[in-house]
Amino acid sequence: MLATLGQLRPALVSTALSKKLVGAKIGKARLIREGEEEQEALTLIDTFDNQIGAADMALIATEDALLLIGPDAAVTRQDVAAPDFVDQMPDGPVTGKLSKIVDPLRRLLVRAEGVFSCQILKMVDDLEKTVARCRVQSFAPENGTAACMIEFMPLRGYDEEMEQLTAYVASLGKPLGTVGDIARALRGPGADYTSKPVIAMTPEETSFQAATDIIRAQIAVARANEPGVIEDIDSEFLHDYRVALRRTRSVVSLFKGVFTDQQTQQFKDRFGSLMARTGELRDLDVHLLDRQPYRELVPPALQPGIDKLFDSLAADRGAAHAKLARFFNGQAYLREMDKLEKLFAAPKRIAKGPEAERPALAFAQALIWKRYVKVCKIAGSIDDTTPDEQVHDLRIHCKKLRYLIEFFAPLFGKEDTKVMLKSLKKLQDNLGAFNDYSVQQEALAGMLDGLSDGDSTDAIEIATSIGALVTVLHQKQIEERARVVASFVAFNSDKTRARFRKSFKPGKTAG
Amino acid sequence: MKIIASYSNKGGVGKTASAVNIAYCLAKEGHRVLLCDLDPQGASSFYFRVKPSKKLKGDRFFTDVKRFTDAIRGSDFDNLDILPANTEFRDFDVFLARMKRSQSRLKKALKSVGNDYDFIVLDCPPNISTLSENVFKASDAIVVPVIPTTLSERTFEQLVEFFKEHKLERKKILAFFSMAQATKKLHGETMRRMRKQHAKRFLDVTIPFSTDVEKMGIHRAPVGSFSASHEAATAYRKLSKEVAKKA
Repeated sequence: MLATLGQLRPALVSTALSKKLVGAKIGKARLIREGEEEQEALTLIDTFDNQIGAADMALIATEDALLLIGPDAAVTRQDVAAPDFVDQMPDGPVTGKLSKIVDPLRRLLVRAEGVFSCQILKMVDDLEKTVARCRVQSFAPENGTAACMIEFMPLRGYDEEMEQLTAYVASLGKPLGTVGDIARALRGPGADYTSKPVIAMTPEETSFQAATDIIRAQIAVARANEPGVIEDIDSEFLHDYRVALRRTRSVVSLFKGVFTDQQTQQFKDRFGSLMARTGELRDLDVHLLDRQPYRELVPPALQPGIDKLFDSLAADRGAAHAKLARFFNGQAYLREMDKLEKLFAAPKRIAKGPEAERPALAFAQALIWKRYVKVCKIAGSIDDTTPDEQVHDLRIHCKKLRYLIEFFAPLFGKEDTKVMLKSLKKLQDNLGAFNDYSVQQEALAGMLDGLSDGDSTDAIEIATSIGALVTVLHQKQIEERARVVASFVAFNSDKTRARFRKSFKPGKTAG
Repeated sequence: MKIIASYSNKGGVGKTASAVNIAYCLAKEGHRVLLCDLDPQGASSFYFRVKPSKKLKGDRFFTDVKRFTDAIRGSDFDNLDILPANTEFRDFDVFLARMKRSQSRLKKALKSVGNDYDFIVLDCPPNISTLSENVFKASDAIVVPVIPTTLSERTFEQLVEFFKEHKLERKKILAFFSMAQATKKLHGETMRRMRKQHAKRFLDVTIPFSTDVEKMGIHRAPVGSFSASHEAATAYRKLSKEVAKKA
């Protein structure tokens, strides 16, 4: 019977070290095999951005089971199923837990394949009595580093012996690892994708270096997403691709004076034209995600019209995806990305502007403070009668402010940045919803125009449904609009103002 | 939680073998079992290679839950824990009585540290004492091995008499024939006579005389773990099932 000692974390060691365990002498006791070694083919499953690993968990598929190893090394099991979107997989204890940690928009993928072997070792004393056990589980992926997880199985009444065993394993030279570490080792290098890479930055480095470092990292993020877009795994690949390019363009346009005007314009054009290619598919992705919410917004009688509309959008999307995949696979695109990568890898040929040599910290503070003051000024002038254009303006400035704070975050206090971004996010969520409703209405109006030459009975049905939808969306937009003033008041608290001043306009007393 | 005592007022009848093998078979069936070695000779602990703990002496032992749970050792087998011998058993009966009371703090405390056993099997010392009387009261079943000989017949009758005198529940007595040899005429006659005379006390199963049981001392393990398909192992499995049903 297992003792209820505190949770013993599994140890992560190399497979070479794990081999040293068999026959090891630990005090008067020694470690020997118990039963046969079991081997089978296994896969490590996660999303492209490793959301399961980030939760300090690992999802492993054996030939007949899905095993979810929790942060405490507790294992949840369910019958094996092909990786997919979690809500497309069979219900069970594993998918139940996954649904809490995996974004519903991300599809699960096989991240590593290999051979799994499991051998139980027992530590026996001079009477051959078992005093402790451990389960040595090795995972040898085809790529990546083989990892070995040693799960300790204490036996009641033998705490000291268990301590000797864990101490012995620790003495083999590797620190005790977490389940997330194990998953990372199995995936191997290069599989640690994140859409928000941490970019090292010092206050003294030049603004030019900061800008080119950020852009280089963003280009890498975009490129990492290309295969997923081409294979059409899930819509988040294109989303992340576009965010990376948008961040790049923001650096180009917001870091004023870092590049010459001519260079700035050239980058705007080049990244802009890449971005433009992806717009159609992204718009359709966004619309298609609205299928269920839209159905729920209209009376049941009008739902078939919504379905017909979305069926036709889905067909359009297929065509748009094929077009973009062709573009990504094309020589022109590959050449252009290659050139951009090389340019930012060694940015000697990039023309420096008047602000290029300014220290990053001073440059960041000036940029952010100016943008913050602008946000406050526009927001302060908005009341319930202000035209919508100004609300849209505010949204754009908030977005730019967010990007700037995020770009330069390494230069400022982690806690301060986090709190500022959080309060900004609340305001942005409100403005974003307001904007989404407006964009959706426009898009639906556009679809209505496109209907005229379609099949007439379907066209009428779809048009009726669109009409109902636009009415509801308009109502929702008005509701969001009504919250804008209050949202800004909440954002514009004394505390938040003090934080912004402390970080971005230091040395002057608040007034 | 059921308490099963393995008891005999006569030595060398297979009492410890019964306790060890019943505990092993119950654990094998998936029940959570604690085997308490109350026999100072410590034979149950010996069969499981559990060393007596030096730290655990003292009068307060059984009044203190933590001392009790700290003394428990995991066996090599799933679901089976051992309370080794060589401890002070003076207050064990008091302890047992407390443990029986379902709402008692003690039971809750045991449960909270994961000592929530389905069965507690006691390997009792071979005499009639205050301890055994209290053990009889606390137990749900008293398993009594009887070698089918005239001498054993007499000691068994003494036990039944003791139950009568002390107004103990005789139906708790689950006797069975142990070390029985089919080839011996005396064994056959004694078994027939006793089954008739104590019809309600005897279980159907008979544990045959077997070298496997003697080999337990060499293997230092229950019969079922090294000779699962043999006659003795099968008989103990049957015995544990009957006992579990009646306890």
